[in-house]
Amino acid sequence: MSALGDLQASFRDAILGGDAGAVARLIVPDGLSPEARLQIYRHHVLDTLTALLESTFPVVRRLVDARFFAYAADTYVRQHPPCGPCLAEYGVTFSTFLSDFPPCRAHAYLPDIARLEWAIHTARHADEARPLDAARLSSMPAETLPRLVFRLDPSVSFLASPWPIDRIWRANQDDARGDDAVELDGGGAHLEIRTRHGEVVLRALTASRLAFRRALGEGATLEHAAQIALAMDQGFDLTLEIHDLLREELPIDVTIAGP
Amino acid sequence: MISEGVAGTGIGLRAPHVQDILAARPPLPWLEVHAENYMADGPGLAALEKIRRDYPISLHGVGLSLGTAGVLDGRHLARLRALVERIEPCLVSEHLSWSIAGETYLNHLLPVPYTDESLTVFADHIREAQDGLGRSLLIENPSSYLRFRHSSIPEAEFIAELVRRTGCGLLCDVNNIFVTASNLNLDPVRYIDQLPRDAVREIHLAGHRRNEVDGHTILIDDHGSRVADAVWCLYAHALHRVGPRPTLIEWDTDLPSLPVLLEEARTASGICAAASRNEAYVRAG
Repeated sequence: MSALGDLQASFRDAILGGDAGAVARLIVPDGLSPEARLQIYRHHVLDTLTALLESTFPVVRRLVDARFFAYAADTYVRQHPPCGPCLAEYGVTFSTFLSDFPPCRAHAYLPDIARLEWAIHTARHADEARPLDAARLSSMPAETLPRLVFRLDPSVSFLASPWPIDRIWRANQDDARGDDAVELDGGGAHLEIRTRHGEVVLRALTASRLAFRRALGEGATLEHAAQIALAMDQGFDLTLEIHDLLREELPIDVTIAGP
Repeated sequence: MISEGVAGTGIGLRAPHVQDILAARPPLPWLEVHAENYMADGPGLAALEKIRRDYPISLHGVGLSLGTAGVLDGRHLARLRALVERIEPCLVSEHLSWSIAGETYLNHLLPVPYTDESLTVFADHIREAQDGLGRSLLIENPSSYLRFRHSSIPEAEFIAELVRRTGCGLLCDVNNIFVTASNLNLDPVRYIDQLPRDAVREIHLAGHRRNEVDGHTILIDDHGSRVADAVWCLYAHALHRVGPRPTLIEWDTDLPSLPVLLEEARTASGICAAASRNEAYVRAG
């Protein structure tokens, strides 16, 4: 590595809480110590990224309280700093971090709340897309139906959790009534998260509908997605599911997979 | 002086003001946005495109990290190029700083030692970025909070040499010059006088705050307040030196209402008009 590259690697380490000695020796004191000068940069980086995580995960923050969240966020930033300059993309691994973070072990539902908040965040920033024209679908020959591959609304994602994360999330919104106690053993959630008319919408699905839609979103053919859902639930009604998929304007494009 | 078709004082467009601007269409000659805010935000980009129909837009990048040793982030350059093609900006700018080391992006404009090595790194990356974007870049002078022992080239001279080597333009941030000069004991007027005047194609103005650290006053470039009186004076000197230039009021934190930004823009326009009248008077005299 070049001398400049070495300096930048050391500077990065110093900002993220590592040893600042090597970089400090390269800085002119001039009335204020090198450590104090480095702290100006460190403070801005850690402060801004912690504030960013607070705004992306407000329910997690509310559940653990502000001081603990600041500690968790600070630890996360130092261990997992951004890997790119689009900060809207920062925080995707925060839920995994919470799973492994020892002080959070007592709150086993927290990582799934973080996953839900990340899904809401990405839904908010997703591209808007026009729904698939129904006429285009009806023009597909009947024999091609099993091989249809749909592209879904870019804002949609699916989340299954053993915890009642949708009820916990709603109870922690600013407009919640405040008297909603959520029973943690009150059952799990199968959620669809997407943006409709500029608002993020959470909907509870059946497990088989979630599996069907998730498979379609991952590029499975209609036949393959239906098989996955039927294996979970023999009562899975494909005609109804296709009808609802289209009525809810989830698909934005359709192609036919090769035989 | 018109740069790429814009003149006069614009403001930085920030998310809380987008709807106000779409509704009221205030009389501003141009607006500037942070490029990275529009690379992963579908609805935000759609709103920007609506605004673009009525206002020239300048793209101000913070993520290219032109001062990072090693290869330039090709993926990020491609994303910036895609945004440039979509928005057709009047100006595109970046910074004399670095943010990327290895796999890490640090969200700050970090200081570079001014050496022959960093001069080469910047020149190579600026050329690559200009080739990749198909247009010239304006490079903004930084706010500095430290000086490296092994810096061998004064900052203004370093910038002038980059202009010579790459043909890039300059975004003269007058507040940054004031902050750097105060923090590192430089003469801000002399700094402005050393910049190659014809390369300056945009001026930034912003607020800063004073911090007391260990009994030492340090200015922090926080873009969180009105432009300081001393910075208005330095702006007048910059105009005297380089002539009228498209000027931007930059306010990023503790955002005020839109009318406050418009007021700051009017103050800048007034100083620019007075500077032009003075030049005409001097020439006539």
